[in-house]
Amino acid sequence: MFATFACTPEALVLLTSALLFALGAAGLLLRRNPMAMLMSIELMLNAGNLVLVLAARANNFVGAQAGALIVLVLGAAEAVIGLALALALFRRRSLTDADEPQEVSG
Amino acid sequence: MQEQLPYLIAGCVVALLSAFGVVLSKQPVHGAVALLVHSLALAGLYLLLAAEFVAIGQVIIYSGAIVVLFLFVVLLLPQGGREGAPGSARVLAAALGGAGMFAALAFAIVGTRLPASGPAPAGGIQAIGHALFGSELVPFELTTLPMLLAIVGAVTIWRRQEQGGA
Repeated sequence: MFATFACTPEALVLLTSALLFALGAAGLLLRRNPMAMLMSIELMLNAGNLVLVLAARANNFVGAQAGALIVLVLGAAEAVIGLALALALFRRRSLTDADEPQEVSG
Repeated sequence: MQEQLPYLIAGCVVALLSAFGVVLSKQPVHGAVALLVHSLALAGLYLLLAAEFVAIGQVIIYSGAIVVLFLFVVLLLPQGGREGAPGSARVLAAALGGAGMFAALAFAIVGTRLPASGPAPAGGIQAIGHALFGSELVPFELTTLPMLLAIVGAVTIWRRQEQGGA
């Protein structure tokens, strides 16, 4: 049953995006470098985008593609803020470990 | 869509392998390059799924802007931001978290009845424009708020740490 399921193109792409999302989640838990954690978050955003594009194709609904574009823009904004925070952390205390900071102050 | 299956399989394999590269690379430079390969593979998948405009947006915004931003930040890091090996507890947590997430998603996927795709939708970019400025106008305009917040926030974080570090 599983083999026939995985052989339709839609199921293949769906399974891939589920794997990508799980990989991103695992990477977020595994890495300590804030840069690598951000990259894992980007992986998860991309996996969600893949499902949106697949849904647009399967249901013939172009609004889902517009949604994917909006996610793309939000991902860019998230990367800007995340990288600014990571860089501030690196420069100020030369930390490359997201677990180490114990306090937040201006 | 069945005739595109070999290309779809190839794109999915490249995307998955490069995602492993992003997660497992010791050095952020290698991770950023793997992220570049990953985003290009996804752009190829979007092309196969008849989403040309999203594919172009992925290449320009993602490969062109976000990954290059990552590379710039890697350049500014001390020792390239290399990190030590993760402890065994962390590896266990990541394996459990990833497996649990995949189990939940696979459970949800098996329960879905995705309709088999018909012929590719016509209209292309024009249809997306109609959707963005028609039915999806409110979410589209609301993205400007996070964009503005990101710009102001990044400048504020930078100025604050310049003043504090001086």
